[in-house]
Amino acid sequence: MKSREQEYREIFLAEALEAYDAMSQHISVLEKKPDDEAALHELFRLMHNLKANARAMGFAEVGELAHRMETIFGLIRSKERAFSGSLVPVMFDGVDTMGSMIRAVNENQPFPDVSTLLENLDRLVSGEELQVETAVVVPSDEDANRKLELSDLVYIQIKKLDHLLNLVGELIIDRDRVLTLSQEIGDPALANVAAHLSRLADDLQYSVMDARLVGVGTLFNKFPRVVRDVATAEQKEVELSISGQDIQIDRNILQIITDALLHLVRNAIGHGMETPAERRKAGKTPEGHLSLSAQTERDDVLIRISDDGRGIDVEAVRRKAVQRGQVSAEVASRLSEGEVYALLFEAGFSTADQVTEISGRGVGLDVVKLAIDSLGGQVRVESRLGEGTTFTLVLPTSIAVKGALLFELEEHSYALPLMHTDSVVSLWPEHLNIVGGMLLAEIQGENVPVVSLRELLSDTDDTLVPASKDTLVGRQDIIITNYNSRKLGLIVDRFLRQQDIVIKPVSQPLDMIDLFGGVTLLGSGQVCLVLDVPALTRLFLARRP
Amino acid sequence: MKNRILIVDDSFYMRTMLKNMLTDAGYDVVGEAANGQQAREMAFEFKPDLITLDVILPDNTGLEVLKDIRQELPDVKIVMCSAVGQEIIVNEALESGASAYIVKPFSEDKVLEIVSTALQSDGDEASA
Repeated sequence: MKSREQEYREIFLAEALEAYDAMSQHISVLEKKPDDEAALHELFRLMHNLKANARAMGFAEVGELAHRMETIFGLIRSKERAFSGSLVPVMFDGVDTMGSMIRAVNENQPFPDVSTLLENLDRLVSGEELQVETAVVVPSDEDANRKLELSDLVYIQIKKLDHLLNLVGELIIDRDRVLTLSQEIGDPALANVAAHLSRLADDLQYSVMDARLVGVGTLFNKFPRVVRDVATAEQKEVELSISGQDIQIDRNILQIITDALLHLVRNAIGHGMETPAERRKAGKTPEGHLSLSAQTERDDVLIRISDDGRGIDVEAVRRKAVQRGQVSAEVASRLSEGEVYALLFEAGFSTADQVTEISGRGVGLDVVKLAIDSLGGQVRVESRLGEGTTFTLVLPTSIAVKGALLFELEEHSYALPLMHTDSVVSLWPEHLNIVGGMLLAEIQGENVPVVSLRELLSDTDDTLVPASKDTLVGRQDIIITNYNSRKLGLIVDRFLRQQDIVIKPVSQPLDMIDLFGGVTLLGSGQVCLVLDVPALTRLFLARRP
Repeated sequence: MKNRILIVDDSFYMRTMLKNMLTDAGYDVVGEAANGQQAREMAFEFKPDLITLDVILPDNTGLEVLKDIRQELPDVKIVMCSAVGQEIIVNEALESGASAYIVKPFSEDKVLEIVSTALQSDGDEASA
């Protein structure tokens, strides 16, 4: 886990080691040219920073040494001392000792004894010329054989990592192409090289993805403060618990969900939690409990925001949806709990009658949904009236490469992101029912509407022709998709395989059709359209008979 | 409206700490400058409400930067940051129009107190 303290410590060490290297260089320049003001200024500045940073980190001994060294460099700058005589070896010793101390911090070793050095420096400050024998520090074998050390930590701009990831994406596409070609050509030597290339490309891909990972804690650690501020403003008492900070996720994904998480936490405190008085009345502790947790599940990262507040009033949401004209009263009464929660994510929806200062001025959960959708993720809601609500964000660990299900429709290949795929089934027509012109399949005790993808994608906005079993011949390959708790079965011609794909944005004018989330190139060089499940689900709802 | 802050410090460590403290407290950190040149450019471009300014920078003294920025942006609040031992500069800075000064190492509470006092002040001095 990378806590903020650890992050500070790493930055401190990296900067201190860098400063030590620079100081070693500048003091050598100064020895040859004692009036080199640039070198002197740098020595003074670097010591000054080291002093301040070491003290902030609580390394008082480092701060003490840096303070004395800085004072002397300051005196040299103001011409009250000269960089000559016994001062020179003491200052060299000072810089070297500083290096040892920084290394000691790095390796968790005790600091070397610096009392003689500090005394010598004090005497120099007070203007004493030291006896040569006390001042000269005989270089030990260790000093003479000292290795040069560079910092183990490199700072890198995220855009450089983005570029690297794009290149890897291109490489993966070519890798697949080479693999396909080598199979076609059938030359064993080529097959060998292709297999090796494939392993290298995989390894490179995972290394680059790994380099972009940061602990979820880098975001979670900002929340104690947020919660405190929101709770104070809302006059609520909230106890926050955080877990799973060390779960790793792509830095850009974390960036994209920052606002969504902030929104959910504010909502939980503003709308979800009762006031201390209300809680006591309900037999709860006066302080509400909010938990922020992360865990990995297969390739996904689940982030949960859980409160023990009043929970979502399903009936109130139904009423509100009818009142807003989202659904008819009749439809509203038939919606399942999951479908009711899905309504919360539609634009402008808010059940809170009084919009409070903190919990978002009318900005609904649609903002959260949009952010998560853009990542190809999912939001799940569980709630019990009077007991609390849990929002779960299902996020990919990395952006570029996604698991997808490949299938064929009218001799074209298509892909569906696994993130939105619940299951695949092959059913005989007699296992499908027709209700109200719609095909229904019973999947794990749930009736799921099923539609022919060919018809859904047909070039019209008209209502779908009522389903009939006559057109269905033989076993039907059906992909059960899931978006916002809404399941939909898509009949396709043939399942192909599961594969990691690199999704590229679609160029105009295909881009106008939001049904396609992007394209990917298959090893055969064939272009494969990636279907966007949220858009397909919306299209189905608009066109269903 | 969130108050917008520019951080000027040549140490990445100090900038990181200050940025975390200030963003956690709800301020909008609009930029981080590592030297006097960047400080001027960012100050003129972003026109922040407040600047935290380190007194010792690689290319200029904080004082020079303070005077230049003050001339262009008379309303910006400037909080000087320095480690102990540079009190002479700090006094001169306050005379040249700095709103307050912070002595490193600083505690989070102190920083936030000084920054919020400086933002509310009308040129009065605050210090710690």
